[in-house]
Amino acid sequence: MFVQIENLQYQYKKASEPTIKDFSLEMEQGEIVCILGESGSGKSTILRLLAGLETPNKGTISINGKTIIDHHQFTEPEKRGVGMVFQDYALFPHMTVAKNVQYGLRKMTRRQKQNRLDEMLSLINLTDYKDRYPFELSGGQQQRVALARALAPAPSLLIFDEPFSNLDANLQVKIRDELRGILKQTGITSIFVTHDQEDAKALADRIVFIENGVVSRVGPPEEILGCASLLMWANS
Amino acid sequence: MRLIQQTKKQLNIWAILSLLFVSIILIPNFLIGIQLFTEPNENWQHIKDYLLRNYIYNTLVIVTFTGMATTIIGVSLAWFITMYKFPLRNFLKWGLILPLAIPPYIGAYAYHGLLNYTGVIQTTLRNMYDISVNQSYFNIMTLQGATFIFTIFLFPYVYTITKSFLQNQSSSIVENAKLLGDNSFKTFFRVIIPISRAAIVGSVTLVVLEVLNDYGVVSYFGIQTFSTAIFRTWYGMKDLDSALKLAGTLMFLVIFILVIEKLIRGRKRYSYSTSKVRPIEPKQLIGMKKWFVFSYCFGIFTIAFIVPFLQLIKWALLTYEKIISEQFLTLIYNSVLVASVAASLIVLISLIIANYTRLHQGRFTKAFSKVTTLGYSIPGAAIAIAVISIFMILDGYIASLSAVFHFDPVFVLRTSLVMLVSAYIIRFLAIGYNSIESGFEKVGNSFTEASRTLGYSTVKTFFKVDIPMLKGAIFSGFILVFVDILKELPLTMFLQPFNFSTLATQAFKYANDERVHEAALASIIIILISGICIFLFHKVLDKESS
Repeated sequence: MFVQIENLQYQYKKASEPTIKDFSLEMEQGEIVCILGESGSGKSTILRLLAGLETPNKGTISINGKTIIDHHQFTEPEKRGVGMVFQDYALFPHMTVAKNVQYGLRKMTRRQKQNRLDEMLSLINLTDYKDRYPFELSGGQQQRVALARALAPAPSLLIFDEPFSNLDANLQVKIRDELRGILKQTGITSIFVTHDQEDAKALADRIVFIENGVVSRVGPPEEILGCASLLMWANS
Repeated sequence: MRLIQQTKKQLNIWAILSLLFVSIILIPNFLIGIQLFTEPNENWQHIKDYLLRNYIYNTLVIVTFTGMATTIIGVSLAWFITMYKFPLRNFLKWGLILPLAIPPYIGAYAYHGLLNYTGVIQTTLRNMYDISVNQSYFNIMTLQGATFIFTIFLFPYVYTITKSFLQNQSSSIVENAKLLGDNSFKTFFRVIIPISRAAIVGSVTLVVLEVLNDYGVVSYFGIQTFSTAIFRTWYGMKDLDSALKLAGTLMFLVIFILVIEKLIRGRKRYSYSTSKVRPIEPKQLIGMKKWFVFSYCFGIFTIAFIVPFLQLIKWALLTYEKIISEQFLTLIYNSVLVASVAASLIVLISLIIANYTRLHQGRFTKAFSKVTTLGYSIPGAAIAIAVISIFMILDGYIASLSAVFHFDPVFVLRTSLVMLVSAYIIRFLAIGYNSIESGFEKVGNSFTEASRTLGYSTVKTFFKVDIPMLKGAIFSGFILVFVDILKELPLTMFLQPFNFSTLATQAFKYANDERVHEAALASIIIILISGICIFLFHKVLDKESS
């Protein structure tokens, strides 16, 4: 298995019970998994644990045969090779689009960096925008730059935290399809977190439905979504 | 497992440096605390039996009355400026901050010069109208006089903080009170005062801490307080132990005041659930009311800024030819040098501690950020005496090392600028830290996290992302600290090396030597630099909040 997460548990310092109780997941290379759940279900925490921004109480994670966290070790976020697209994009406001995308490129010659930048910009169709600053871009464009920035260093796993929550509804549909195209084209393994079933349906190969910190169902979209809607309906 | 990982995650360059800086701040405080419980000597017995009561009485009288007067003036001004339109309102809105640029000790000798027998008021009365006044009415060198000086030069703390609080309040509160039948006067007491309580109490506490910190005014006026007593015990009697004991007693007073602040600040926090608040729109005043409010605000501006400033300019015009010399340029150079070195160090240390507490949130780091703000509540004289004793211990070590290794102990810390700069850092770290911390809060953590997932360590991220994004906070932190050090008197008086003076200490020395005219030029330079910085800072702040 390309990504292996086992028995992950995490509790915030002041919380009375763990946010993540027992989370396990296995992923094939190139697979797109969507973690679906209501707000407060702990789905974003899973991403933060994967990226190394939080430390779990228990559990192991390994990516591409390399253990990044278990009893003995904790790999710092910068050494994990996990790319992340943030909910608010977190584009560096003091850098141009080009500088943002090139930020994570290291140990490359200037020429290689330039090539990679061109490649990324044409992938997201923003070649003409490379000298703009983030505040000069629309929400959808910012989102694509954030994607390009995360993709540029060729991470082994790419994770997205609520990627469409800041976009207009009609833009959301367009970008969703575009995004799936780009991800499949690059063949990158990715995990999404969302509360929107439509997002999950349009993007995912497989959906993990999470409730109160535990996985309640896993399976392909068409199989899960019927149940998930039912569950949500029942809970509301 | 988590413990090992946590420790590994926590133990990094940020943690180590932060711990180091925090200990530098804590050590002098511990020293003062410990000294309180050591065996007292004869001097202390004497101080305790005959003098201490007087110090406490004087200090409490000045603190209490200054606190009350600054509350009345500061809050009323904030209310008028926020609620009403009247002539020169836009000018006074800024102008009323300016008295803060005049350090109270400068104001003190300006007013003394103005009011004494040879001052402009009495000479005018005598020469033009042939009136001789009772001297005791014009004697400002009293407890009342000191209270007056502190009030007119420190009220801007209450004014600015209360004003910015009121400006962020919703106009619907005031409108509602009026609809429910309260007139302006009643609204003020029934609504405005209660909701601004925390802001008012917080700002008055700042005023009180400034009063406790003061050395210049009380020393010039010959009033015995803790600051002057610590100074005399150390320089007059060379009795470090008793000086430390006085500092400890003073710190008790500070703690007492901070506890009172907590109690009367109240538990309630008033904030809005909606993000859109319609700010209070000032109302045009007409007729008598307009001129009454105008005279009140302009009158205070006149007393607190125009009068002392004109007096200083008059003196400066009399003496500038004599004063401007190479020596005077050295004073400016010295002042700017120590202020910028200390301000840079403070900004750097603040960045490191703030970054650490932000990246590793927990009880431990919370305590760190509390400790960094500790120094500001401790009066300068107390910090000075603690720092002196620490450096004496350090020099002792150097001396004994030199005896062992047979080298000449040329490097004596006690007489170097290192001691002065360390004391500045302990006292003013809070100001730099607050600015940097709120900068970090505004920026949030996601940029740093993004950088880390893109392969950069916290150190590299710090230089590539955090620092460029914090430019504004770094700049304003630096400016605020710089101005405060430029004006600073007690620490510099205590700790300046031999043959080293700043504008502030030289001005004070001139005034104390009855050469008050010659003190004017240095004072004006301090006021101008502070005034420009304060103005710029509040302009930026105002722009940001709107």
